[in-house]
Amino acid sequence: MITVKHLYHDFELGKKGNKTTLPVLKDISFQVNKGEIVTIAGRSGSGKSTLLNLVSGFIKPTQGEIWINNTRVTDLNEATFADFRLEHVGFIFQNFQLIPSMTAYQNIELPLILKGTDEPTRKQRTIETLTKVGLIDHQDHYPSELSGGQQQRVSIARALVLNPPLILADEPTGSLDSETEAELLNFIKQLNKEMDITFLIITHDEEVASIGNHTIHIKDGKLIAGGVFQ
Amino acid sequence: MTFKDQLKFVRQNMKKNKMRIFMTVLATAMGCTFLIVLASVGFGLQETLVKDQLEQSLVTEIQIHGYEDKDGNYHEITDEEIEYIESIEGIKAVTRRIQLYQTPDYKIDNYQSNANTVVAHFPSELKAGLKLAEGNLPEAENEIVVGYNFEEYLTEKDADPEEIYDEQGTVKEAFRYSDSLIGKNIDMTVYQYIDGEEQSQTTSLKVVGILEKPTREWATDSNVYITEGTLSEIEEFTGTLRGSIQQDGEQVSEPDSDSDTYNTVNAYANNLEVVDSISTQLKDENYLTYSVADEVKQINMLFTIAKAGLIFIGTIAILIASIGIYNTMTMAVTERAPDIGIMKAIGANPKTIKQIFLLESSYIGFMGAIIGTIVAYIISFAVNIGLPLIIEMAFQEEVPEGLKFSSIPLSLVAISTGICLLVTIVSGSRPAKRATKIDVLKAMRREI
Ligand SMILES: Nc1ncnc2c1ncn2[C@@H]1O[C@H](COP(=O)(O)OP(=O)(O)OP(=O)(O)O)[C@@H](O)[C@H]1O
Ligand SMILES: [Mg+2]
Repeated sequence: MITVKHLYHDFELGKKGNKTTLPVLKDISFQVNKGEIVTIAGRSGSGKSTLLNLVSGFIKPTQGEIWINNTRVTDLNEATFADFRLEHVGFIFQNFQLIPSMTAYQNIELPLILKGTDEPTRKQRTIETLTKVGLIDHQDHYPSELSGGQQQRVSIARALVLNPPLILADEPTGSLDSETEAELLNFIKQLNKEMDITFLIITHDEEVASIGNHTIHIKDGKLIAGGVFQ
Repeated sequence: MTFKDQLKFVRQNMKKNKMRIFMTVLATAMGCTFLIVLASVGFGLQETLVKDQLEQSLVTEIQIHGYEDKDGNYHEITDEEIEYIESIEGIKAVTRRIQLYQTPDYKIDNYQSNANTVVAHFPSELKAGLKLAEGNLPEAENEIVVGYNFEEYLTEKDADPEEIYDEQGTVKEAFRYSDSLIGKNIDMTVYQYIDGEEQSQTTSLKVVGILEKPTREWATDSNVYITEGTLSEIEEFTGTLRGSIQQDGEQVSEPDSDSDTYNTVNAYANNLEVVDSISTQLKDENYLTYSVADEVKQINMLFTIAKAGLIFIGTIAILIASIGIYNTMTMAVTERAPDIGIMKAIGANPKTIKQIFLLESSYIGFMGAIIGTIVAYIISFAVNIGLPLIIEMAFQEEVPEGLKFSSIPLSLVAISTGICLLVTIVSGSRPAKRATKIDVLKAMRREI
């Protein structure tokens, strides 16, 4: 599902004339198979988010290639990558990233609208997904009127609504209490099992990392082969 | 994303800042109104002038004054040219008249008048639309027809010339000949100096017909239409071409004038559409022509330039309003940057983002154009009613009937809406482009 080959990423720092490069990722290679849950673990600042942003196409790597679903996404430009994301990848963010002026229903419907789905199908899919995440009674609530756990479920619903084969999540439980966290992890496992969705999840929490079929450990921008979480 | 959804999205976004959008639409509408009202004056005056021109004259008439030969010499029209002109496609009739070079006295009973006297070619006159009000056309040589207004000038011989005219300069009813002229004999007296002595010759002519009132309201026809035979008789008496009076041996008549030329030759086209092409054709063939179509063409040309100038000035007002649109759109993009970031993250194409913002700015432009147009129509209506009243009150001056200060044809509405949309799209395109450049990660970190 995802293949990363010899991936490097440097950040440019400073202003013109006083530039320095900060190497963040060094020679990263790994593979995620279809139907797996893979977690990426590492300390703060180790480069986990940077890796996921590269896979998501939010930033471009300095070197190396990334394949998703047999597409070399590192070749895509901004516009085609956007279309690719809409089609193949769902996202769950730590801060939920819901649009505050839209209700739960509207937030979930947004990917369908962007895709140009016709209205009856849109409605049916949105209601279906709302039901799946158990928020059918809260569909008209705005994000500010929902709890953190509920907001995260809306964001999961938004990621699910177009039936993507892959979901990328950066610290999905980072803003949740431990009880809600457990609930969410169970839900992810359930989705993985029932719908065969592949997950790539970033976390710095050992417990969260343990739900994965594999865990990739990063330290100072490098993979630790079979490394132990420190 | 479908257009319908984009529109819905734009509407929702606009609702979030109603006041700002309202102000921007207002500015655009004002610019649009300014443009339309300004240009409408050009359109209105043009309409009035052209209408006047067309009403006051026969639009299908082409006056032909003569032609120039290869050496640039002027010639009057003869039968040969008339035959050619008649053969031109689209020509209905070619009328030709010979002018008597003096105005004879006409007397009947105790009444008299001086009248312009012509020889007309009635078959072509009839084809051109001439009609008789009474009687019939002359058949015998000494028969005549008179113009509709001829009788009005037939006044009592002995009446005091100071008294017979009223304020408008027409003959008072009491001094006019009041009987029907049809079938009556009328005496025509022509004059000539022979050996320094004034001599006269009187011929009795029979009125057989009266022509219909001229179609143009202000035109009068007090001509006497004599036959060619009568003309020959007059020429025989005066010994000059067309009866011109020769005093003290002085040469009045043109010596090189041919006797078979015509003074007034008018061609009539089948319809207005062909007048221009026929008139151009004749001009190309060195005929000296004049038609109202020429006049109208010139008026239109002049007004086209004036209108273009007015529209240009009006466009400046819309350009000023576009600064407001630019501002509004820039603020909208900034405000919505986090939302745009999220949308881009989940897969919104930059093109879609751009379209949404362009749609929003053109929506503002469109609303401005609609409101501006409606207000412009109201102002135009008010100006057309109010301005004549104000002018009358302030300057005590009568405004001509049917004068239109302002007119808004659909073409003007289309032009202003087009300019409005163009300007708003152009001014919204930079902010829209900026929206597509928003960095996803920065936006999601709320750094913008
Ligand atoms: N936009 C950026 N410009 C410059 N340096 C950056 C940028 N983003 C991240 N970095 C640097 O890259 C390194 C890796 O950051 P990253 O966000 O990937 O860490 P992380 O593993 O996700 O940490 P955390 O667990 O705290 O989220 C850090 O040293 C950070 O300072
Ligand atoms: Mg991180």
